[in-house]
Amino acid sequence: MKLLYAEDEKALSMAVAEILKMEGFDVDAVYSGDEAYNSICNGTYDGIILDIMMPGMSGLEVLEKIRGEGNYTPVILLTAKTQVDDRINGLSKGADDYLAKPFDLGELVARVNAMIRRTIKYGKPSMQIGNITLDRDNNKMVSPFGALALSSKEVDLLEHLINVKEEGSSSQDIMQHLWPEEEDGATAVLYLTYLKNKLKQLRADIVIRKKNDIFYIASIEDSI
Amino acid sequence: MMNDKDKEFYGKFADRIEALKEDIESKISQMSLSVTGTEEERSVEHILGRIKNSESIKEKLKRKNLPTEVEAALVNLSDVIGFRCVTHFVGNVYALSTLIENEKTWEVVEVKDYIASPKENGYRSLHIIIAVPFDDEFIKYVRVEIQLRTIAMDCWAALEHEMRYKKDIDNTKLISSELKRCADEMASTDLSMQTIKDMIRGEF
Repeated sequence: MKLLYAEDEKALSMAVAEILKMEGFDVDAVYSGDEAYNSICNGTYDGIILDIMMPGMSGLEVLEKIRGEGNYTPVILLTAKTQVDDRINGLSKGADDYLAKPFDLGELVARVNAMIRRTIKYGKPSMQIGNITLDRDNNKMVSPFGALALSSKEVDLLEHLINVKEEGSSSQDIMQHLWPEEEDGATAVLYLTYLKNKLKQLRADIVIRKKNDIFYIASIEDSI
Repeated sequence: MMNDKDKEFYGKFADRIEALKEDIESKISQMSLSVTGTEEERSVEHILGRIKNSESIKEKLKRKNLPTEVEAALVNLSDVIGFRCVTHFVGNVYALSTLIENEKTWEVVEVKDYIASPKENGYRSLHIIIAVPFDDEFIKYVRVEIQLRTIAMDCWAALEHEMRYKKDIDNTKLISSELKRCADEMASTDLSMQTIKDMIRGEF
């Protein structure tokens, strides 16, 4: 099990990292929000521990950014004991748990274990839109009329469109989000068309519409 | 050509049934050419016609509690003559089905779209049952079943058929669920390929 631990107090970081390693975790320790974000982008973790108060990006900003990019690795936030706002904010921005500082090391280990157990047991939750279920564990799109397997990029794209709701997303946004290394928007258009055709095949009651280069999901009954 | 056993069963109808099969086959094959356009760019991979063998007919009639005679088969069964058209793309299936449905020499009795509504096990195909005029004093029409599917669907159906008719397989449950998964993947790929084809042709 690989963990990322972001904490700017070096002494605390060393002690916590040591304990986690003794518990059998593989730990990458970083000391700022920016480092944390870079590590998350370049690696795969089973869990992330984020201190809120850090130089550069705060733990909350890192959390918000990675969730916005569709990264659902479980996150525990380390908050100051008095800051109830931080905890509420953190949980609503997608943290899975929090622990108030100063904390007991045994409790941190127990919470990390519990968090990872939950992820393994439940996997990624399915998403529902109209009569379509996006089964993210099995990369499948299911309707009352059948099921189609999707490529991981198709899953990511549909997930993105569900997340942005009626605000929609431009092909540029989609490219930046899913294919940051590519330049023109042809890939986005092709994948949007894949999804459109597959939704139609499953007789979905939702469609992907385009208005002023913004793609969004609409109910099939809504007039264009 | 029919073997002796089938010839005996079909009796005085044998020649007419053969002729009818040939006739429908050439019509469908004409249609498949017009779907495609050119010979080089054949999108209908093959058309397979068959006259049901007497063994399976008798078995089916028995199951339905009907007399095991050729007249009963011609009147009650819709697959004494059957065709399977295998195409490259999903779009070809629907293009061909439109032509079959619009053909004036026969009447469409039923269309079962197992592509839009796959069977529980993952089976996908489009089945069309047509009623074709038959040259007989008492039997005026015979029903004929035409199955349309892509190569991927055909390949899947062949494997599923093999599993179903092999008696002693250990992992039926595992194989069934894996077949189902493959069906959903292949259907998805079929649609992706159609989409890419449309993109190449600028038909987006």
